[in-house]
Amino acid sequence: MDADGTSEVLSRLRDVLRESAVEEHDWDAVASETPIESLGFDSLTILDVLYDVEEEFGIALDPKQVVKTRTVGEIIALLQQNGA
Amino acid sequence: MLHLLEYWAARLALFGVDLLPPPAAARWAAGLGSLWWTADRPRRRVAISNILRAGLAGDARQARAIGRGAASNMGMVLVESMKSSLVLDDPERLRVDIPGDVAAVLEDPDRGLIVVSGHFGNWEIAGQWLSRYKPVAGISRPMNNPRVQELALGRRQRRAFRMIPKYDPDPGRFLKLLGDGEILALLVDQHARQGIDVPFFGHPAKTHTTAAMLHLVARTPLTFAVCRRTAPMTFELSLSPLIEQQRSGDRNADAEAILRTLNSLLEEAIRRDPDQYLWGHRRWR
Repeated sequence: MDADGTSEVLSRLRDVLRESAVEEHDWDAVASETPIESLGFDSLTILDVLYDVEEEFGIALDPKQVVKTRTVGEIIALLQQNGA
Repeated sequence: MLHLLEYWAARLALFGVDLLPPPAAARWAAGLGSLWWTADRPRRRVAISNILRAGLAGDARQARAIGRGAASNMGMVLVESMKSSLVLDDPERLRVDIPGDVAAVLEDPDRGLIVVSGHFGNWEIAGQWLSRYKPVAGISRPMNNPRVQELALGRRQRRAFRMIPKYDPDPGRFLKLLGDGEILALLVDQHARQGIDVPFFGHPAKTHTTAAMLHLVARTPLTFAVCRRTAPMTFELSLSPLIEQQRSGDRNADAEAILRTLNSLLEEAIRRDPDQYLWGHRRWR
């Protein structure tokens, strides 16, 4: 267990992705360094996932910050900055 | 072969458009639209079936009359979109009604806006007029006929109104342009294979969720636009007050609530002028 809770956030994020995503993917293999573009989202499916991520963590993300992220680790950092 | 015929029909339409003064050109295009109605039997059957299903005609004869009028109006859309500067700069030809809450968003360069409409009246005029406030990006599906598409795109007057493809590998592109304070214009009345069922004239129709989800996720203001033709090359453009939906935690329920509102606003416009709607699209599948 890491001190900053990154593993727990990653685990919850994987669960949300597994539930929300339309495309098949090996979600257990998703790690902090995984590029977001490799997850197979398009401009429509990403909206469903973002809604579900915000609901899971009970936070509101700034879309301007979200579009700057390139890896899952950067998403996790953004979630943690917002209180996850 | 059909594509080639369509292309030459479009070229013929453009020849008349270039030759005639704008109101006469609009009537010329309306006549060609009516002719197309006579020639295109499969689309005519779809349109008559849709009009009857929507409950806007008591019998097939009435439905045919509405359908022919709609085909004429679609012919006019082509001309008006190419001669739009005559409309956009003339308040006698374009009366505009914008509620205060929408005007406040339009005048704020930092705020994006989602503008939704349907294939009613002349939706392109609406998008082009709005581009006087901020850049407008309209989502488009490529036409079935690439020759006609190339011809049409080359002739339209667009100002700060640009078309962007429906699908793109960049998942953040809509969020980016709304974050930059631009307008995203969407038409919600095309069959959406991966959409959700939302009533349209009382019958479930697969509907795209993009506009609703962008409102819920990006928290961008949302309005519905109706650009109604009152005479050839003459319009009333009205925007609805901002549509707001609080999140409940149920994504599909929230999206459906928004889309029901959007569909009911479109239905209201169509009931008033059923011959200004594009009926030849298989909306219910």
